[in-house]
Amino acid sequence: MKSIQVSFILNGNDVAVSSAPNRTLLDVLRNELGLPGTKDACSGEGECGACTVIMDGAAVNSCLVFIGQVGGRSVETIEGLATNGEYHPLQRTFVEAGAVQCGYCTPGMIMASKALLDEKSTPSDAEIREGLSGNLCRCTGYVKIVDAVRLAAEELARD
Amino acid sequence: MQDFEFLQPKSLAELSDLLTGSDTRLIAGGTDVIPKMRHNLFAASTLVDLSGIDDLNFIREESGEIKIGACVTHQEIAESELLSEVNPALVVACASVGCVQTRNRGTIGGNIANASPAADAVPPLFVYGAQVHTHSKKGGRAIPILNFSTGPGITTLEEGEFIHHISFPRLNRAWGSAFQKMGKRSGMAIAVVSAAAAIVLDESGTISDAKLALGSVAPTVINSSKAQVILIGSEPTPELVNAAAEACAADISPINDVRSTAEYRGHAAVVLAGRAIQGAVDQAKRRLA
Repeated sequence: MKSIQVSFILNGNDVAVSSAPNRTLLDVLRNELGLPGTKDACSGEGECGACTVIMDGAAVNSCLVFIGQVGGRSVETIEGLATNGEYHPLQRTFVEAGAVQCGYCTPGMIMASKALLDEKSTPSDAEIREGLSGNLCRCTGYVKIVDAVRLAAEELARD
Repeated sequence: MQDFEFLQPKSLAELSDLLTGSDTRLIAGGTDVIPKMRHNLFAASTLVDLSGIDDLNFIREESGEIKIGACVTHQEIAESELLSEVNPALVVACASVGCVQTRNRGTIGGNIANASPAADAVPPLFVYGAQVHTHSKKGGRAIPILNFSTGPGITTLEEGEFIHHISFPRLNRAWGSAFQKMGKRSGMAIAVVSAAAAIVLDESGTISDAKLALGSVAPTVINSSKAQVILIGSEPTPELVNAAAEACAADISPINDVRSTAEYRGHAAVVLAGRAIQGAVDQAKRRLA
């Protein structure tokens, strides 16, 4: 099948890829662009949120976006979160709060949390849980994850 | 994943020209299409992406009609001030779809075209008497949403025809509309049963118009005419609301499936219908006061 050329902004940099149209953004990030931080857990059902990235400011499951739909858009992944070697507050508070156990859901959790905090700087616990309702974690029981997001929100509000 | 050619028209005219043959199919948010393609439940040799067509992305009011473009996302509906003012049932329904990642991609046109009896956006559109406006090379037509789907996954769209927008009128005077949904859990759940109600009261507080629609309890979303007959012309007492909710049981034909049983659905439909009607009545009474 004819491949397509797609240009988009990835973590602030222009990228161009040539891809078969039946590949998803998740496939291309992990297998073409060398960014395996975005995880694949439910294999393209859109059920688990492990592959969450931020596209044009909105959290999306990258397993449910064909690469051709990314043209001209701006994508942020977990790899783009640290700036000048400094971790994003969410990356630190997830460690501090003990919100990481096996770690597989963590990049998706952090990207969904970032999209939430970008939209609403001081969410309630109910809003945090709603914002993360598309992200599954099989280890933590979620309490520490909500703690981590709340801590990051408080830290960001102080800055 | 099957191979396909991927096309991105920029205008309605370009899109109409591309839609030739049953092997050419549409993708908007992809939240249903992509999982179906992975399971070989959606065959297409050409996939036409709607996301580049600005003319399908609008929410506006024109001569008393509310119009929502086919590619408006569930999240955009959930956050729309105009829609929360005119159709709170639809706003609540769209806010209940999946999770934020799904709502950010999934579109109202896709929700309707998918023709699932569990489609969250559809019962609120039923109770507003919405019309589905389509386009094709032959022109456009308006299909009442009541007649749009004839069974699970089946629509009355013809080859080459696509949804352009959905329209519905404002409800007048003292009105209310509400949506209720029950899934297996509160996040990411497909409806086991859903219900939407719209109620209009006249100046004396009598119900002058009433509609109740139910999802996931028949091959398509359905209107309950039995509940409507009980409600119209009466005072909205708790007893009347209960009687109308119980009457809807005669309009539904629930089945056993992976999400629930017919028996449980039958019971839950009555409970959710009662809550939706009462919610709409409460709003209408506040507007009357």
